[in-house]
Amino acid sequence: MADVSTSTSEELAAENARLRERLGALESELVEVQARTNAIVAQSQERAYWLDRWHVDLNALMERPGASEFRASLRAARSVTRLLRRLKRRLGS
Amino acid sequence: MIPVKDGERYLEELLEALGREGVDEILVIDSGSSDRSPAIARAAGVELLEIEPGSFGHGHTRNLGAERVSGQLICFLTQDATPCPGWLAAFREAFELDERVGAAFGPHLARPDTSPFIARELSEFFTGFAPDGNPTIQRTGGESFLSNVNACYARECWQQIRFREVAYSEDQAFGRDMLEAGWAKVYHPAATVLHAHDYGPLEFMRRYFDEYRGLRETTGHVEPFALAAGAREVARAVAEDRRWMAARGMRPGEQARWIARSAVHHGGRRVFSALGSRADRMPPALRSGLSLERRGDAADPPADDAGLAETSPLPPARRIARKLSGEIYDTPARVWRTGPAPLLEPVPGMADRERLRLAMVIPTFSRGSGGHNTLFQIFSRLERRGHACSVWLADYHGYANAVWPGVLRREIQEYFAPFQGPVYKGFDAWQGADVAIATGWQTAHAMLELDQCRARAYVINDHEPEFFPSSAEQALSAETYGYGMHPIAASPWLRDLLKSRYGTPGEAFQLGVDHDVYRPRPVERRRDTVIYYARYATPRRAVPIGLMALAELKRRRPEVRVILFGTDEILDASFDYEHVDVLNPTQLSWLYSEATVGLCLSLTNFSLMPKEMLACGLPCVELAGISAESIFGEDGPLELAPLDSNRIADSIERLLEDRAEWDRRSREGIDFVASHTWDQATDEVEAGLRHALRVRERAATPS
Repeated sequence: MADVSTSTSEELAAENARLRERLGALESELVEVQARTNAIVAQSQERAYWLDRWHVDLNALMERPGASEFRASLRAARSVTRLLRRLKRRLGS
Repeated sequence: MIPVKDGERYLEELLEALGREGVDEILVIDSGSSDRSPAIARAAGVELLEIEPGSFGHGHTRNLGAERVSGQLICFLTQDATPCPGWLAAFREAFELDERVGAAFGPHLARPDTSPFIARELSEFFTGFAPDGNPTIQRTGGESFLSNVNACYARECWQQIRFREVAYSEDQAFGRDMLEAGWAKVYHPAATVLHAHDYGPLEFMRRYFDEYRGLRETTGHVEPFALAAGAREVARAVAEDRRWMAARGMRPGEQARWIARSAVHHGGRRVFSALGSRADRMPPALRSGLSLERRGDAADPPADDAGLAETSPLPPARRIARKLSGEIYDTPARVWRTGPAPLLEPVPGMADRERLRLAMVIPTFSRGSGGHNTLFQIFSRLERRGHACSVWLADYHGYANAVWPGVLRREIQEYFAPFQGPVYKGFDAWQGADVAIATGWQTAHAMLELDQCRARAYVINDHEPEFFPSSAEQALSAETYGYGMHPIAASPWLRDLLKSRYGTPGEAFQLGVDHDVYRPRPVERRRDTVIYYARYATPRRAVPIGLMALAELKRRRPEVRVILFGTDEILDASFDYEHVDVLNPTQLSWLYSEATVGLCLSLTNFSLMPKEMLACGLPCVELAGISAESIFGEDGPLELAPLDSNRIADSIERLLEDRAEWDRRSREGIDFVASHTWDQATDEVEAGLRHALRVRERAATPS
């Protein structure tokens, strides 16, 4: 009877230790995820500093009337510029 | 109840309809009709009350009518509003929808001969209240529109609110007042009346003048004179009228005729509504000329029907439009109402994990804020030790509304310390933390609302209730010590005060000194210079006492050079002095290295500045009997003086005169603060944070 009880108690202690170890690992993982999240947000805040300073919300800006037309005109101008450069290169070579 | 004046055109039809609907009681109040209106009422067998035309008032007369009838539901109609079948049943149903329904109103259908633009507006306006065709309930904060053309009131609600005795728009005022008092209001689309005010163009304009004048008097609404926007709005309304007419198969020729009327109507409305909003600035004759009701006075006081009551001496109360979305201290109020958010269950061993998730909630700041400098010196070091750290700004007053998070973060780095983590404004992105840290009374309630935390700590830089006279702020700041946040105080004095006054046991940390910056600089020490931290805007600095002490010193020793620093404000004083603005730490260290005596007074917790002066070898005078003794002892490196300008002057003079005493204080000061570093302060705060977690663990461990 005593052997059975000792064995059960040891098993419980082992299980307890295993669970604590697992808990510790999950806790470490949680902190690691939080640290990575913090780093990503901080990095994006660092990148957006001048936009934030000038109160420019590019998403809101590009949803305003005329924004897509403005982008289209920029694309058109860029394609003309590229075409001209290509022509120049060909004529030059 | 129907107020009438020259209303014979529809009155007979109206009374017949009411009879058909089965109302219990009908009261017609005639205010001097010159047509057959009284005769029609008598012939219909309804109660007729005739009053003097001059005693009529939209609110006053309706209150009078409501007092004379006896039902629990009181309906009001205008003389040209004819109920449609099912009208009364719909109103009865409206009051069944909720026990707090105090009033109901229904739509106005256009009569067949109504102008198309009026018919369209009526139809669209009322459809907007119930797009799905079902009754809608409006409550506090919702739509307040109510119209006595066609409305029904619960007697209990009317008795509590009553119509204001205003010249116009008594219904709108009632709608708003009842919602504010917690009553609900129902729009029932089946409580329909036939109604339209079809006037000639000029009469329409004068009616709008009256309407907007009434709105200004009851709600404060001012219609803008925006020419370009007004023109666009008129064009849009005319286009909508044209579409509406086309959809109803009106012939093009007829459409063209109405479109011209429509343009005049909408344009006239824009102009006359804006004029009506400004009627109070017009001469009475012009007001009367523009008014359809010929009202020339600014706001007709209602005449008493019996002529017996005294005129109230009360001036008319002004209604002030809402400007804020909430009150400044809504956050504490929410905590009072619902209590702090529950903490997460403790996890075994959480206090001893190598890395913790720390979230620090800070109040708004500006360059030179000593408290924030302390916080970020420590928090940036905790971050460097591997803890996952984030910063959250609580801003009750909206001081930082114009500052976006990326800028806040950079300002923290430039003003205080190189914190590398994220900085959030508000708590929409809240992610939880092992320890959430409040850092000032303005952050405590906001932090108490945050969930997913294992423990809460309160880094307390000073006893903030002493910053305020008796006030909401004093009470709120004192109240923050009662929520069981684990206090980590910025001196033993402050720790002891929290325990003795609020019964809040906690820990203390010593403010650190940046010895790389604050050290004796290679500059010749002057023997005649007293520098004074004269931050007048901070009352706890007792600047008037300090200035009196310096005035006394200058009286005794006119040759002494006095420099005031730490403020951009040039103070008026009874002695000549030199002034330097807010200096950066390196500049300060040079100033401290050159001066002879520093003067820095604090009526509350000991600040960092005297330590920084001592680190540069500058003896400093502080106030005795407050907090300095808890750090330096009674005869330590600091020269302590009571709160007496003459005694403070004595202390400064002694240091100027007694070379041996000066040398002792200077040497002991450097030695004393050598061990006071930010790393040591960080150790102490980290221990406090872990202690907060340990307290939670212990509380959860079964005994």
